[in-house]
Amino acid sequence: MNVIALEFPPVSHLFDWPDILFSGSLFAVNKTVLIYLAAVLITSAIFLSAGKQRGSLVPVGVQHVAESGVNFVEESVVMETIGPEGKKYLPFLTTMFFFILFSNIFEVVPGIQFPANSRMAVPITLALVVWVIYNFVGVRSQGIGGYLKNSLFPPGVPKALYLIVTPIELVSTFVVRPFSLAIRLWANMVAGHLLLVTFAILTQTLWDNGYVGAAAPFAMLILMTGFEILVSVLQAFIFTILTAVYIGGSMHAEH
Amino acid sequence: MRRRGTKLCFSLLFAMVGMLFFAGPASASGESIGSCIVEKLEHIAEEGHHDDGHHDHGVEHLFHSLHASEGATEDEKKKVKKNEDKLESCLEAPSPIIPELSEVIWGGGAFLILFVVMVKKGFPAVKAAMDARSDKIRDDLDAAEKAKTDAQNVHADYEARLADAKNEASRLIDEARGAADQVRTDLVAKAEADIAEMKTRAANEIEASRQQAIADLRAEVAGIALGAAEKVVQGSLDDDAQRRLVDQYIDEVAGS
Repeated sequence: MNVIALEFPPVSHLFDWPDILFSGSLFAVNKTVLIYLAAVLITSAIFLSAGKQRGSLVPVGVQHVAESGVNFVEESVVMETIGPEGKKYLPFLTTMFFFILFSNIFEVVPGIQFPANSRMAVPITLALVVWVIYNFVGVRSQGIGGYLKNSLFPPGVPKALYLIVTPIELVSTFVVRPFSLAIRLWANMVAGHLLLVTFAILTQTLWDNGYVGAAAPFAMLILMTGFEILVSVLQAFIFTILTAVYIGGSMHAEH
Repeated sequence: MRRRGTKLCFSLLFAMVGMLFFAGPASASGESIGSCIVEKLEHIAEEGHHDDGHHDHGVEHLFHSLHASEGATEDEKKKVKKNEDKLESCLEAPSPIIPELSEVIWGGGAFLILFVVMVKKGFPAVKAAMDARSDKIRDDLDAAEKAKTDAQNVHADYEARLADAKNEASRLIDEARGAADQVRTDLVAKAEADIAEMKTRAANEIEASRQQAIADLRAEVAGIALGAAEKVVQGSLDDDAQRRLVDQYIDEVAGS
C-alpha cells in the first residue's frame, strides 16, 4: 500500500502476529497470547505480593497498586452503579479491570508496543461472559417473567409506544449489548495502535528524508503515546463500569 | 512458600517479555504475499498435471492455466478465472474483527486462570489487609476518643477537687484568723483586767502601808515627843495635862 510515498504496511500486518509455538494448532501461541499471559502474571504478582504484607498497617510498594485498584473498582464502579449488594461482584470486576488494563497498556511499552485487545479474542469473550452473567443475575433476582417484562416493557412508557420500544429493547439488551461492549474496546485499541503506527512511520520516513520534517510527527507520536496511556486505562474502566451497569440493571427492576 | 510463588511468577514474566522481543514482525498468518503466491502457483501447476491430459511442463503449463487463448472454451475461461481468484486471495487480509480461535482459547483461559487466582488468593488477601486497616483505624479512633473523654473527666474531677481544696484552705485560714483575733482580744482584755486589778491592789497596798506608816509614825513621834516633853517639863505637869499638850502638838504637826 503506497500512500503519498509512504510504505504503510497492510493493516493485517499490524495486528495479526505469526505463531511462535504450536503453529497451526488450536493452541497456537503468538505475541497477542503472550501479552494475555503477561497480563495474568503481572496482575497475580501484584496481588499475591501485596497480599503477603497482610500484617503491615502502612501499605508499601505494590500494595498501593492493588489496594487503590480494588478501592477504585469498589468506590467508582460498584458503589456508583450497583450499590452495596454489588460487592460480591468486586473480585470479578477487579480481575476484569486489571486484565484489560494490562492487556491494553502493552500498547505503549517499548519493544512490545501492541495492545492485545486490538485483537477481537478477549473483548468478545469477556463481553459474552458478561452477557451470560447479567442475564443470569436478571433471571435469578426478578424471575424469568419479571426480568423479561422489565427488560422488554419498561414501566412508565405509554402502552402504544411498546410497539416501537419493545423491539428496540429486545435487540439492544439481548443482541447488541455484548457486541457493542466488545467492539468499543477493540475499536479503541485498533484506532490507538493505528495512530501510533502512523505517526511512527511518518516520523521515520521524514527523518530519512532530511531530518527536520520529522519533528512535528515525532511530537505527535509522543503526545499520542501519552494519550494512549489514558485510553488504555479509560477503556478498561469503561468496560468494567458498563459490566457493572448491566449487572445492576438486571438486579433491580427499572423504575 | 509464597515468596517462591511470586518469584516464579516474575521469572515467567521475564521469560515471556523476552519472547515478545523475539516475536518478530507481524505478517499475515505467518506468511508473506510473495510466498503465498508461490505456494498457490505450485498448487495450480500440480493440479494441472493431474487434471488434464496435457503434457506441458512447468512454465508452459502455468501459462496455459492462467491465460485463456483466443479460441478457448467456456470451461477453460472459467478455469483461468478460478486460478486468477486463487492468486488474488493472497492479497486479501484476514478480517480483523473475526476473532482468532487460538487467541480466544488462550485469552479466555488466561482470564479464567487469573479469575481463579484472584478469587482464591489475591483478592481476599488484599481486601483482608484493607479491611484490617480500616478496622484498626476505626478502633484506634474510638479508643482515642474514649481516652480523650476519660482524660476530660479526670481533668474535671481534678479541677473540682482543686476548687474544694482551695475553698477548704481559705475557710481554714479565715477560721484561724478569727480564732487568732479572738485570742488576741481575750488576751488584751485579760491583761487590761489584770493591770487594773494590780493597779487597784497596789493602790490599796500603798494606802494600807501609808496608814500603817502614819500610825507607826504617830506612835513613834508620840513616843519621841513624850520623851522629849517629859524631859522638858519634867515634873511640872501631870500626865493628863502632858498628854493633852502632846496630842495638841501632834495635831498641829499633822495639821501643818
